[in-house]
Amino acid sequence: MAYSNEEELARELVRRKLNRRQIIAIGLRLGLGATSLGALLAACGQATPATNTSATAAPAPTAASAPTVAPAAEPTKSTSLYDPGDSADGPWPKNATGDPTSKVEISVAHAWDATFFERQKQFDELFMKRHPNIVVKAENTPWGDFRQKYLTQAAGGALPDIFYIHFSWAQDLIKNGTVLPLDDFIAKESDFNIADFTKPSLPGYQRDGKLWVIPYDEGPGIMYYNKDIFDKAGVKYPDDTWTLDIFKEMAGKLTSGEGQNKIFGFSGTPGPGDSLLAPPYLTPFGAQYLDETQSKYLLNQPEGVKTMEWWMELRTKLNAVPSPAEQQALSQANINAFQVGRVAMILDGSWATPGIVQNANFKWDVAAWPKGPVKQATFSAGSGYGIAKTSKNVDAAWIYENEYLSSAGQIYMWGTTGRGSPSRSSAWPSYFKSKFAPANSKVILDSLNNFDTTGKLYFSTTPRVTQEAGPIWDLVVAGQLSVKDAIDQIGVAIEPIIAENRA
Amino acid sequence: MLQQEANTAQIGQVARVRPRFGPQARHEERMFYLFISPWLIGFILFWAGPIIASFVLSFTNWNLLGDPQWVGFANYTKMSTDKFFAIALVNTLYYGIGSVILGVAVAFMLALLLNQKVYGQAMFRTVFYLPSVVSGIAVALLWLNIFNPDFGLLNQLLRNLGVENPPGWLVSPQWAMPALIIMSVWGAGGSMVIYLAGLQSIPEHLYEAAAIDGAGRWTKFWVITVPMMSPVIFFNLITGFIGSLQAFVQILVMTDGGPANATLVYGLYLYRNAFRLFQMGYASALSWALFIVIITITVIQFALAKRWVYYEGEVPGRTS
Repeated sequence: MAYSNEEELARELVRRKLNRRQIIAIGLRLGLGATSLGALLAACGQATPATNTSATAAPAPTAASAPTVAPAAEPTKSTSLYDPGDSADGPWPKNATGDPTSKVEISVAHAWDATFFERQKQFDELFMKRHPNIVVKAENTPWGDFRQKYLTQAAGGALPDIFYIHFSWAQDLIKNGTVLPLDDFIAKESDFNIADFTKPSLPGYQRDGKLWVIPYDEGPGIMYYNKDIFDKAGVKYPDDTWTLDIFKEMAGKLTSGEGQNKIFGFSGTPGPGDSLLAPPYLTPFGAQYLDETQSKYLLNQPEGVKTMEWWMELRTKLNAVPSPAEQQALSQANINAFQVGRVAMILDGSWATPGIVQNANFKWDVAAWPKGPVKQATFSAGSGYGIAKTSKNVDAAWIYENEYLSSAGQIYMWGTTGRGSPSRSSAWPSYFKSKFAPANSKVILDSLNNFDTTGKLYFSTTPRVTQEAGPIWDLVVAGQLSVKDAIDQIGVAIEPIIAENRA
Repeated sequence: MLQQEANTAQIGQVARVRPRFGPQARHEERMFYLFISPWLIGFILFWAGPIIASFVLSFTNWNLLGDPQWVGFANYTKMSTDKFFAIALVNTLYYGIGSVILGVAVAFMLALLLNQKVYGQAMFRTVFYLPSVVSGIAVALLWLNIFNPDFGLLNQLLRNLGVENPPGWLVSPQWAMPALIIMSVWGAGGSMVIYLAGLQSIPEHLYEAAAIDGAGRWTKFWVITVPMMSPVIFFNLITGFIGSLQAFVQILVMTDGGPANATLVYGLYLYRNAFRLFQMGYASALSWALFIVIITITVIQFALAKRWVYYEGEVPGRTS
C-alpha cells in the first residue's frame, strides 16, 4: 500500500465516495486491526451507519491494496465488486419480437475477466427474471483463447447463439456469413435509436449497407500518466495545451534511474507491426500508413519517414523508452510496467482503466493524447456481439442482444461499473458518475467525438501485413537498419498482400 | 514305415479335424479386438483420422469458416515463393544441426566423465540428469533470466571475465539462435543416461587387449569406445534431429520467432499459419512438407550410417 497512513488512505476513499461497508471491506483486505479500522472510519467521517443496504458486500477495487501484500480473507458473501441492483431499473427496450411462449435456452459466449464476469452473471439473472421463458447459458473464455476456440466451434457448426466479436475479426466473420444481419430486427423495434451510437463505433461492423454486429464499446486511445513520477520530476501534469513536441520533451525529463529501478518516460516506440499505428502516431503529423481502401502503401511518403524518425528519437536520443533487453525483462516477469510504476506515461485504450484502478498503487489520471502539428488524432477500437447464423433461437437471441446492448444495458454493464466507453452516447453520463471512473474521464468522450480516429488497419489482410512489417522493424529497434530502409522494405513486402484489398 | 505313415495320417486328420473358425477361435478373436479396441479407437480418432484429414486439407483453402475449397497443389507450390517458408526451414536446420551436434558431443562427454569411478558418482549422475525432467516452460523462463543482456547470469559472468560488450542473446538477431542452441544442451541428461548404458556394455576385455598391445587412452577412445558406441550415437542423432526439427514450445514462449524472424522455426511458422492466420490448408501442407524433410534427412542418415556405425554382431556381406 503506497499510502503512508490512515489519513492519506481516508482521503483517497472519500474521493471515491465509498460507503461504510466498502471501507470496512477494504480495511479487512489490508489486514487492519480493529483500532486502525476505527481510526480509518473516523478519518473518512463514517461515524454514522451507511445508507447502502445492499445485501451484497461490494468492496471498492483493490487499488488500495499493495500488489505485494496478501489480502485479508475474503468475506464469505458474494465478492462481486458491483451491486446487482445498481442501475437495474432500466427503462428496458419494448421488445417488439415478443417473448417465446415456451422455455428456450440461448447460449452467450463472453471473453471477460473474472471480476467483470460477475457483473455479467448479475445482468443475466435480471434478464431471466424479466423474461422467464428465456434461459441464458453464459460461457466465458479468456480473450487470448477466444478466437481459436470459437472458430473451431464454427467449423463444427456449434457456435453459441450470441458471441463476442472483436473489431479486428468482424469483417472476416461477416464476409464468411457467420453472423446474421440485424437490420430487419432493428427495423421492428420502435425504440431502437441508431443515432445514439457514437460515430466511430459502427463502421467496423457494417458491410454491404447492413449492420451485422452491435458494438458494446468503442474507446479511444488516451494517455494514462503517473502523477507521482510527474511530481518527483517537477513536471506539470498534461493538459489541453500539450503538443506532441512537449510530450516528447517531457518524456525525456521524466526518465530517471538505472537498471531495475529505471523509470521510463514512455512505454515504447511505435512501429508498423502495430495495426493501430496510424491514428495516434502518424495522423497528427499528416502522415499515413495505408490509404482509406487499405490497398495503397503511404508510409514511404516523406512525411511518413520523417514522422517515424521523429518517434525513434525517444529511443535513440532521449533513451526514454525501454530497450529491447529492458522490455524483455518486463515481459518475462509478466509486469505491466505502468501499473507497477515504472513508466510515467502510456497510450492505451480507455478499457485499460479497470486494470489500472485495481492494481496501481500510485496517484494517476488520464489526459487526451496530445495534438500534433497537423491535427489531434488517436485510435479507437471496440468490440460487439453478433447472432450466429446457425442459431436455432434467433428471436430469443435478438431479445437478449437488444436489451444487453440497449442504453439501459450499457449503463448497467459499462457505465456504472466504470468499465467505460459504452458505444451508446446516452450511457456515457452514467460512466462519468461512476466511482470507478478516473477523475478526468470526460476527456475520453471528447477524444472519441472530436479527434480523428481513422486510419487503423482492420481488413482481413491485417495479420499478414503486421507479420511482414514487425520483423523488419525489429532491425530498426536493434539499430541494424535505418528507418528509411525499413520503411522501403516493408512497402515491398506488403504490396502483394494489400493488393488483395483492391479486389 | 507303416507306423510313420499312420502317425502322419493321424496328424493330418487332427489337422483336418480342428476347425479354423471354430467357436473357441472366434471367441479368442473377439476378445482380441475387444482388448485392443480402446487403443484402436484412440488411434483412429486422434491419430490416423486427423492425419488423413490433414492430408486432404493440404489440398484445400480453409479458414474454419465456410467449407474447404479444393485448390489442388496450390498450397505446395506456394511454398516455393513463400519467403517465410525458406526462413523457417533455414532457421530450423541451423537449430537442428547446432543442437544435435552439440547435444551429442556434450552428452557423450558427460557420460564418459560419469562412467569414471569417483566418489559421489550417483549424486553427479542425478544432478546432470535432473534438468531433462524439468518442464519446457519452466526451462524457458529460467533461460530467459539467464540470457537477459543487462542482468542475466551469463552476461554478468562474461563481464567479470573482461568482456565489455557481451552479446544481446535473445534480443539480438545474430545471437538469438545460438542462445536457443545453448539452452537445448541443458537437457542433455536424458541422452547421457543412454550413453552411460552403452558405455557400460562395452566388453572390458577389449580395453585389456588394447592395453596389452600398448594402446594409450586416446587410442582406446577412438579405436574401441567410439566404434562400440556408434549405434547409440546414431540412435541419438536420429531421434535428436527429429525432435529438434519440431522444436516449438520454448521458442514460442521465449522469442515468438523474433527478433526479426531470427528464431522463426518451422514448427512456429506452422502454428502461426494454423492458429493465428487460420490458413488451415496451407498449415496442413506445411506439416506434410516437414514430414518429407524429416524422412529425407533420416534416410540420408541411415545411408551414411553404413560407413561409420558398427554393430558388434554384424558380419559384413551377410544379410541374415
